[in-house]
Amino acid sequence: MKEIIIGVSGINAIDNPGPGIGVARSLKEDSDLKVKIVGLAYDAMEPGIYMDWVVDKSYMMPYPSGSGDAFIERLLHIKKNYGLDCVIPNLDAELPIFIKYADDLAAHGIRTFLPGMEQFKLRGKDHLNDIAAKISISLPRTKIVTSIDGLLKAIEDIGLPVMVKGSFYKAYRCFTTAEAISHYHDLVAEWGYPIIVQQVVTGDEMNVVGLGDGEGNSLGLVGIKKLSITALGKIWTGVTVKNEKMLAAVADFIREFKWRGPFELECIVHGDEVFLIEINPRFPAWSYFATGVGINLPSRLVRRAFDLPVAPVPDYDAGKLFIRYTYELVTDMAAFQKAITKGEVP
Amino acid sequence: MQKLTQLAINSEGFVFNPATGDSFQVSQTGLAILNSLRDGKSDDEIAQKINDIYEVTLENARRDLADFRGSLKSLGLI
Repeated sequence: MKEIIIGVSGINAIDNPGPGIGVARSLKEDSDLKVKIVGLAYDAMEPGIYMDWVVDKSYMMPYPSGSGDAFIERLLHIKKNYGLDCVIPNLDAELPIFIKYADDLAAHGIRTFLPGMEQFKLRGKDHLNDIAAKISISLPRTKIVTSIDGLLKAIEDIGLPVMVKGSFYKAYRCFTTAEAISHYHDLVAEWGYPIIVQQVVTGDEMNVVGLGDGEGNSLGLVGIKKLSITALGKIWTGVTVKNEKMLAAVADFIREFKWRGPFELECIVHGDEVFLIEINPRFPAWSYFATGVGINLPSRLVRRAFDLPVAPVPDYDAGKLFIRYTYELVTDMAAFQKAITKGEVP
Repeated sequence: MQKLTQLAINSEGFVFNPATGDSFQVSQTGLAILNSLRDGKSDDEIAQKINDIYEVTLENARRDLADFRGSLKSLGLI
């Protein structure tokens, strides 16, 4: 099999980890795939740059902002100078550019496996009402607001406490109106409008990582429950679960929206009721968990993107434990120097 | 009953609920009751079984069974 060079972003394996290292490890673990991993980094301190047993080559990237021209040019530079056959973007902020330029990248021989722009926008926090209605899942009472008056009205309708969420990142549980107003301003300043005000629901935090083929079929999914999280709300330990209602909703989601690519569905499960909290259009940081229980989604994505044989969707066992741990590596400053001066390592 | 039959239980009494991710440990008596409930035994049959195995009175066995049922109910399993 020909070697495939795959770009992977989100190699910031820090206390708020990006998904990239888990994705890269998964690809390396498919012994039938001959891959080289190119790390796409935004900061010279991203640990993945130095993890040479997982990432073969790293490039510093410009931020995916503005028109995206500089970003695409950088990818083409990598293609020309090292080789780049496919990219798995793992950060939310990159996705609009990758989706927008998917055809251009394909024309240059760089494949992606992503949803279309319409699908991408549909799973935004401000559109979850539409999705929940179509996939037999509950949604906490939700109001989309763009003004303080709207915020106050939403709090009056929903009742305190409420979750106040940015449209892309961050969410705060607010017990008073003053708290909600303060976080509203912070979120607007950081992420812009709209702001989502949502009923607080209690229960078990369960997530699903999945991969859709774009034709309504699942290429694999794994459900988990978070057993412990960090101060930043990131999973530290978890266990695989098979909550039938949640998994059925995910299958509905893939079928109804013909989702193409990876995704993470975040839910709160309370008794027999499953609440949809968020849909992330990419692999989550814990996606290696799925690989560990026998469902290598990054590998299946690459196989599908390159029209290689994809085995039938495997099943997984409930009750498998995921434990994150810390580790250290020691290397030479020369690698860091290359990252900041040449923009590539090694 | 369906929720009980879905539980994964090992011989040491460690119980895992695959639908919720919850896990708990039961005593040998609890294990005997749980397995009997999963087998569809009646309360009288279960109390008699406890009476036979653990040499407790039928009255105490029925009380243990009622307590255990209360625990299962609080876990949403029955």
